[in-house]
Amino acid sequence: MSTHSRTARSGDRVAGALAYGVVGLGLAFLAIPLAITCLMAFDARTFLGPLPPPALSLHWFERLASQADILSSLRTSLVLAVLTTILSVSIGTAAAVGLARGDFPGKGILTSAFLSPLIVPPVVIGFGLLLFLSKAGITNGMARLLLGHVIVTAPYCIRTGLASLLGADRRLTDAAMILGATERQAFWSITIPLMKTGIITGAIFAFAISMDDVSISLFLSDPSATTLPVTLVSNMRAAFDLTIAAAAVILMAVTVVLIVVLDRLVGFDNVVGQGLFRS
Amino acid sequence: MISAVEFQSVGKSFGETVALDNISFSVKPGETIALLGPSGCGKTTILRLIAGFERPDSGTITIGGKSMAGLKPYERNVGLLFQHYALFPHMTVEQNIGYGLRHRGHAAREIPARVAEMLDLVRLTGFGHRRPNELSGGQQQRVALARALATHPSLLLLDEPLSALDAKLRHELRTELKDVLAAVGSTAIVVTHDQEEAMSLGERIFVMSRGEIMQSGKPDDVYWRPKSRFVADFMGRTNWIRGSVVATDGSVSTFRSEFGWEFPVAASRDGAAMKDVCVRPESVEISSGTGRAGAIGMAGRVEDVVTLGAFRHVSVELSSGDRIISACANRPDISFEAGQEITISMPPQACVLFA
Repeated sequence: MSTHSRTARSGDRVAGALAYGVVGLGLAFLAIPLAITCLMAFDARTFLGPLPPPALSLHWFERLASQADILSSLRTSLVLAVLTTILSVSIGTAAAVGLARGDFPGKGILTSAFLSPLIVPPVVIGFGLLLFLSKAGITNGMARLLLGHVIVTAPYCIRTGLASLLGADRRLTDAAMILGATERQAFWSITIPLMKTGIITGAIFAFAISMDDVSISLFLSDPSATTLPVTLVSNMRAAFDLTIAAAAVILMAVTVVLIVVLDRLVGFDNVVGQGLFRS
Repeated sequence: MISAVEFQSVGKSFGETVALDNISFSVKPGETIALLGPSGCGKTTILRLIAGFERPDSGTITIGGKSMAGLKPYERNVGLLFQHYALFPHMTVEQNIGYGLRHRGHAAREIPARVAEMLDLVRLTGFGHRRPNELSGGQQQRVALARALATHPSLLLLDEPLSALDAKLRHELRTELKDVLAAVGSTAIVVTHDQEEAMSLGERIFVMSRGEIMQSGKPDDVYWRPKSRFVADFMGRTNWIRGSVVATDGSVSTFRSEFGWEFPVAASRDGAAMKDVCVRPESVEISSGTGRAGAIGMAGRVEDVVTLGAFRHVSVELSSGDRIISACANRPDISFEAGQEITISMPPQACVLFA
């Protein structure tokens, strides 16, 4: 009897240690490439040499800043990300309110249709859009990119908006109206504040995804409008050097800033807990 | 006198389901009405129609003599206390209470004074800066009441006001709610499925079933003189005794049960057609021994005793063979046990005849 329980207990201990080991390995797998990238971005050598770098310098960043195509594509990416965020949040919030509060035939199908870009591979969306927009005669690069980015980011805003509304009682709107608020006043003073978490989370996802997207932008970019990730990929093909590591560090810094903002505004736990992964 | 609320032949259906079937009633100003019935009886639909969340399919609704046809909720001066309070979670207590004042066009400088007055009315002074989730259930309920009353509504609707609270708190708040309603003097309609809540809050009770008002009247009327089996059963426990009326002398008839037990009951106009007597357990008086058996009493034997705190339910098998339950006060100096010989008696006016 006692031998049994002792074996069982040591089995538990092994399993516990194993679990810690797997978690540690996972974290290392995620963090080590980031650490190496950061380190290499500050490498003082002018070539790609073995780690660790003998000295540190900012010359890769200077080189990055001196490349006109990088700077112009960074500007394109930022403008695009801001416009995408505004459009996706507006569409996503309106759609979420309609889907959560409305009662109409075909609601389930509409919900699935709205969320389908989360499932369809971005390459398919990008290629499809390229064909469609060419046929439709939309040739402006920025407009094409904006359409593509809104299509892939709006579902995130709808999803986070829906999640924040599901917890909110529909009777709160009734309560506002019986207290004298019109539908419009109730919407702005009750519904929108209740959706705050979902709206901010959706906005940050939309911005981050737009900044980061390669697969759709690759199809839709043209010489007049190219995003930063697309420029980096094509530069890397032409001549592989560490400016891409410097660019990666900048993108990481933007992400860190976004996460800090998110945490301050709504609490990071809220986002990961309910924003996206709980229906 | 103009009615505070009046329904004239109001009907409402949701798809195939008839929620209200041609309902008419009127409420006097200052009166408190309780709409009582099981879920799905249409009581909540009446409340939503008065508030303006639903529109009637037919008939007219007037509030204070004014037709409500086509008016939105915010165009009616009605207060509503929601079942689960529906406090705005992103606002403080003060902002919640002030919400109606802001949207009903009160001058901004008057709002803080009115909010303070309402906080005082519900004894929550000092809680103004808390959020709803920092309050207990009872406190949230009081904030909701203050919010509903702040704009001086001509009519207050209360949707299951006490059902979300635990039993002890419910008792306390029922008294408090009654005091506040009396202090404000506003007309009130309470919707509830709890007959105790309806009887304690309502000056008149409308008992509803399947979209119809089955009976309306003062609590005691409805309780002691139910006009239908549904009302008799819904208002509380009853003993049903099957038999027939054998004689009538003025206001008292003699009823004979299937088992041959004869006892006096309140006479009914069409006495001959009556086949059942309803008598509430607390009307069945029980005394130990067989001494008083005779003209008004009936001998029997205790079958079972269930103690419920303040009351005991004593099941009795009478010597005739009839079975009846008596509810009597639970006292330390009196005890009953199975097999004990006892006598029961019932006042004739507590025995109601049914067809």
